[in-house]
Amino acid sequence: MMMNQGGITETLAPPGTNSLEDRHVIDARHGQPSSYSSSTVGSEAPSWTPHSVNNSFTGNGYSSGSTYGFEQQAQPPRRDDINSATEASSLSLGSTSVPQDYNGYMTYQNPTNSYGYGTTGYTGYYSGYQQQSNQSYSQPAGAYQSTGSPYQPISSFQNTGSYAVPPSYSNTYYGPGDYQTAGTYPNSTYSTQTTWNDGNYANYNTYQYSNYPSTSSAYGSGNSASAPAQYQPQYKQWTDYYAQSEVNCAPGMENLSVASSSNPECPTPGVPDGTQASNSQPPPTAVPSWRPEPGPSGLPSQQPSVVASAGHDNYWKQHAAPGFQNHNSAAGQSTYYQPLDSKNAYGSYSDGQNSTSNQGPNLQYPIVHQVPQIHQAPQQISPTLDPRRGSKVQIQTNPRIVSNLALGLTKTDKAGSATMAVAKPAYIGVSLPKPSDKALSGDASDPALKPATFPKSLRGYVERALARCKDDAQIAASQEVLKELITSATADGTLYTQDWDAKPLFPLPEMDGLSNTFQSPLPLPTLRRSPGRRTKSRWEPLPEEKLVNKTPPLMTEPVKYGGYMNNRNRKPFVGNSESKDGLNTTNFLAVEQKTASFQKPFKRQRLSNSLTTADNGDASSDSDKESSLTAFYSGAIGFSNTPEERKKRESRSKRFEKAHGSRVEISHFKPKSAGSANLYARRATAIVLSKTFEESGSKAVEDIDWDALTVRGTCQEIEKRYLRLTSAPDPATVRPEEVLEKALAMVQNSQKNYLYKCDQLKSIRQDLTVQRIRNKLTVKVYETHARLALEVGDLPEYNQCQSQLKTLYAEGIEGCHMEFSAYNLLCVILHSNNYRDLLSSMSRLSNDAKNDKAVKHALAVRRAVTSGNYVMFFGLYRTAPNLNSCLMDLFVDKMRYKAVNCMCRSYRPTVPVSYVAKVLGFAYASSANGGSDEKDSVGLEECVDWLKAHGACLAADNNGEMQLDTKASSSSLYIPEPGDAVAHGDSTLAVNDFLTRASS
Amino acid sequence: MAYPSMGEAHRRVTDYLGRFSDAVSTQDVASLKPLLSLSSASPSLLSLADALNLLQDAIRLIKQSEKWSQLAEIVAPLFRCLQSYRLSNLADAYPAYEKAANAFIQEFRNWDSAWALEALYVIAYEIRVLAERADRELSANGKLPEKLKAAGSFLMKVFGVLAGKGPKRVGALYMTCQLFKIYFKLGTVHLCRSVIRSIETARIFDFEEFPQRDKVTYMYYTGRLEVYNENFTAAEQKLSYALAHCNPHSEANIRMILKYLIPVKLSIGILPKDWLLEKYNLVEYRNIVLALKRGDLRLLRSALEEHEDRFLRSGVYLVLEKLELQVYQRLLKKIYIIQKQKDPSKAHQMKLEVIIKALKWLEIDMDLDEVECIVAILIHKNLVKGYFAHKSKVVVLSKQDPFPKLTGRPVNA
Repeated sequence: MMMNQGGITETLAPPGTNSLEDRHVIDARHGQPSSYSSSTVGSEAPSWTPHSVNNSFTGNGYSSGSTYGFEQQAQPPRRDDINSATEASSLSLGSTSVPQDYNGYMTYQNPTNSYGYGTTGYTGYYSGYQQQSNQSYSQPAGAYQSTGSPYQPISSFQNTGSYAVPPSYSNTYYGPGDYQTAGTYPNSTYSTQTTWNDGNYANYNTYQYSNYPSTSSAYGSGNSASAPAQYQPQYKQWTDYYAQSEVNCAPGMENLSVASSSNPECPTPGVPDGTQASNSQPPPTAVPSWRPEPGPSGLPSQQPSVVASAGHDNYWKQHAAPGFQNHNSAAGQSTYYQPLDSKNAYGSYSDGQNSTSNQGPNLQYPIVHQVPQIHQAPQQISPTLDPRRGSKVQIQTNPRIVSNLALGLTKTDKAGSATMAVAKPAYIGVSLPKPSDKALSGDASDPALKPATFPKSLRGYVERALARCKDDAQIAASQEVLKELITSATADGTLYTQDWDAKPLFPLPEMDGLSNTFQSPLPLPTLRRSPGRRTKSRWEPLPEEKLVNKTPPLMTEPVKYGGYMNNRNRKPFVGNSESKDGLNTTNFLAVEQKTASFQKPFKRQRLSNSLTTADNGDASSDSDKESSLTAFYSGAIGFSNTPEERKKRESRSKRFEKAHGSRVEISHFKPKSAGSANLYARRATAIVLSKTFEESGSKAVEDIDWDALTVRGTCQEIEKRYLRLTSAPDPATVRPEEVLEKALAMVQNSQKNYLYKCDQLKSIRQDLTVQRIRNKLTVKVYETHARLALEVGDLPEYNQCQSQLKTLYAEGIEGCHMEFSAYNLLCVILHSNNYRDLLSSMSRLSNDAKNDKAVKHALAVRRAVTSGNYVMFFGLYRTAPNLNSCLMDLFVDKMRYKAVNCMCRSYRPTVPVSYVAKVLGFAYASSANGGSDEKDSVGLEECVDWLKAHGACLAADNNGEMQLDTKASSSSLYIPEPGDAVAHGDSTLAVNDFLTRASS
Repeated sequence: MAYPSMGEAHRRVTDYLGRFSDAVSTQDVASLKPLLSLSSASPSLLSLADALNLLQDAIRLIKQSEKWSQLAEIVAPLFRCLQSYRLSNLADAYPAYEKAANAFIQEFRNWDSAWALEALYVIAYEIRVLAERADRELSANGKLPEKLKAAGSFLMKVFGVLAGKGPKRVGALYMTCQLFKIYFKLGTVHLCRSVIRSIETARIFDFEEFPQRDKVTYMYYTGRLEVYNENFTAAEQKLSYALAHCNPHSEANIRMILKYLIPVKLSIGILPKDWLLEKYNLVEYRNIVLALKRGDLRLLRSALEEHEDRFLRSGVYLVLEKLELQVYQRLLKKIYIIQKQKDPSKAHQMKLEVIIKALKWLEIDMDLDEVECIVAILIHKNLVKGYFAHKSKVVVLSKQDPFPKLTGRPVNA
């Protein structure tokens, strides 16, 4: 949160400068667009030009700037739409569509966040904004990344956009409309982002809601009548609006109050910006998206919205991080957010407006057409929506919006709490927005076309497919399948020709087996559901709306969403942590960068999950939310605040600076944000919190007087489970030395499996460490554990013990020093192919050590290995003292392969397999148990199997004895892929393998 | 130690300051160098140190003159260093010197020309030597010796200053060599890789343009690294380059090079003349060469055992150990020659028993399987041409060149 705040402040003050500049540019463009906007066609054209401008900006490295430009562009069109097409119906539609678009955007944002592709995405965006978005949709992975990058820019853009917008937009009442859309956005996005952003989202939602209502009232007049009325007043006075919005939100969140406060400050600017941005954005985005992928048709619109939403998300997140308080306190921040929201809303509005207003659509159409046929797919989706809209249009849309908003705010929370708190909320938000966005976008882009594009039969098919779903997961899965169906049909061109009524339904997808990684998809369904339910309860036209929502989800890929969700979560988190710097953009960039590599994202997931959980908890009760959020944030802040962490983060982000121009800008922002951090009282509180964290954290590491803190255990329990300490040890749970001795004896005599023993030994080790006991007992414990670990091949644990033992021996504590230096030597020989390490370990051996049996053996093994003397190696294997053979085991296969290679080269014409088995230790392995002949034959079989597995050519000779055909084998030998290969490369650590061995 | 009077102390300090400031302003590196060379223990520096210890407010003196205060960043820590150095407190002298050096490279960075390169060499050398001595002092006091590590990272920084384009690049190789010395001493040779990369991949500066002495040092260390990697061909090239370009009068350096070059050459089948070993006092290799000539496995093993510590420390132990295969080859060849004298028609068939018997004479007891394995390895590594017939336990040698000579190429892996 701190980070967010900082970011906000930065954006506000300095931002002012940076973003303002960008915005100014954008504004200039906008100005053009606005002129265009008068005529929908014109608006579209402007939007394009702005896009190009934006692109160039992005090229500069300011992805955010570019996004801004986009947003602004989008906004102008919206304004136009609104102005020109303010027609109640059209407006209402527009508003609805906008929200939907936003939702879609929201989803996009998620992807973008997750991917963190700032640069790539940007480039793509720049070149073809829409295309990128489409791509992202079509290709989840690719798209995600690209979107991710756009995201960051977007967020930054949003900020700027909001700044720029204010002046120009004050007139446009789109603001309200935008807000509404934004509200919708927030819902979708928020839900997705939920965990971190929950607070933010909630705020957003409320904000948006309030805004929306006003907009809707202004715009749709009729559509969301109740909301609109409020909004109009709000419009006049943004502050008032906010307040109203707060009221609206109040149910949903505490954020409302915050929003209200914030609104006063920034409302006007933000709104105008948002409107402009959204207007401009929609056209461009829509076009590109359409081109790339038909399915994503909704995407184009979504993309703009996504951008906006992304920005929003970021903003929200940041805001959220600070907490609602921050919002209130940082009016500027909130306003910024609002602008963003408004922008989003605008974007959606513009889309909607375009679609609704003939002019708008027309304009868009040309563009869309140019873009490609891909459009159709999106259109198809939208058609379903359109019909509904056409009929129910205004009402439905408004309800949707409202529902979305409400859902996003309240429902998401509820849903989150009820369902998978973490992922679900986020998903819900995302999924809902997306569908609606898509549909809306489709409508917006091709209002007329859309209805036509989606055949009724297809709609029926979709309805049927979804009707049989029993739960959210199934719906989600079905939607995914449907999406694929539709996309492929669109691609085939069979969308219209196919007899959807006759087409058999696909089998219900199985959702049960989803793993954690797949949770995100699942959450989506739940999210959808919750929105749907709400809409139902609140709005009668729900069924249709549901369909609309569903269809869009289908279009988009749930999986993608999931990915996005994760990304979002991570991003938000990152943003928060980095928010110290104060720049959202910076944070995002960093996040994106991080996310760029998949592994990192995974790691983050944990964080995101935890955050999401927190969010869920928040969702369950608003008051709880706040506290939990603040706690989380403060925690995050604390982390981020530690100097080490910051350094790390900076260095991490620096790594990317070279590659991404935008980074540089980020770095600029950071200082500013940091400076501005003090401006806000809430921030201050957050800082205090973080400081406390910092103190506790840093203390734990460095400045502690260990002597004073050394614990004297009082616990008398012999058995104790290992639990990694997260705080100072409690003497009551620490066992004193006498008890530990008993515990060790207990473990040594225990018949239980290794996992149990390992756990017990770790807890003993912990107690020893905590009490700073370093004596013979300590050595004994580590030796015991090391031996046990060796026996089961648990090398990581063994290495831990070995390194401890090294220092313990170095302190002069007696133990089985020789035994373990032999192990150490073997480890170096067998595992590091580093002659220098080997030499230094050898040169460190004392003369005593060299005369030790175990060490001698290890040295002999070393000779055998370096000279490739397999006979010697397996001879030594047979006579290995202690557990040397356990370590040699790890090298046996390699040695055998080398040996067979050598034999194939030097023996002619054949070698008896029995000899190979004898020399390569097969016979021994099997004969260890007893008899000679019998065992030999077992070893022989084993050897034959092994040889065959490695591609050797075997043949029986006249006496029926198996022979290795050396000439034929010499060219056919290979190392088989390990059947039990594991990701970490050590099959001996495969879980199953490990468990079976450990339990035996 | 006769302490100078206050006036004398004052005069010495101002004199030093004047000389330092003059040298910098006239870019006279020759007179600057001795002012920085701590380890030279020159009388003037020592007397200055005494003066400083007497005159505790030398810093104030520096501030007196505009010209001097410009150099305060460099000179003030340098004075502190001298004071500690004079009191044999090296652990304190090192950080002060590093601070002065740091300030110096800041200045150096700002100078367009590389006039002060020689002075920088002095600083780098002093840093390293001082760090080594400070570490010795620290570990003698039971403290953690960490100064050399710090010197490594400082010199890495200096390297960064020099590694760019321009006239200063000439100094990069000197820093590289100083870094090598540190890394080899610390046993962190893996850190050499990044420096090597930046030297060898830079196209902007031809390696031959570096000063000769640095090139030799560089080749010596990189050659040693190749020995660690068992990359004998490259090691041979680099060490030969170092030997060829080394000053023929600096026998100690030649000996150091030969210490690694001889094992490398042995492993590719090239044996040194006895006089070479004599001349450079590398007698530890004599028995090994003899064993290779005679095919005397026992001699090789005893020679290895005798000098095991030395070989392990210098890092050639594993290289020499691998010569065993060549000794086996030589032994087989001898058997082959004897067989040929007895019965040329059956000379290419060598019974395993004969080999075992020969080994027994050398008092090396090996069973059938082991010898069979050795023979298989010899054939596998192309030290013996032919094949092994398992059934009859006979090595069937190729009639043509059954024991190929290595002549400059390493044994097949």
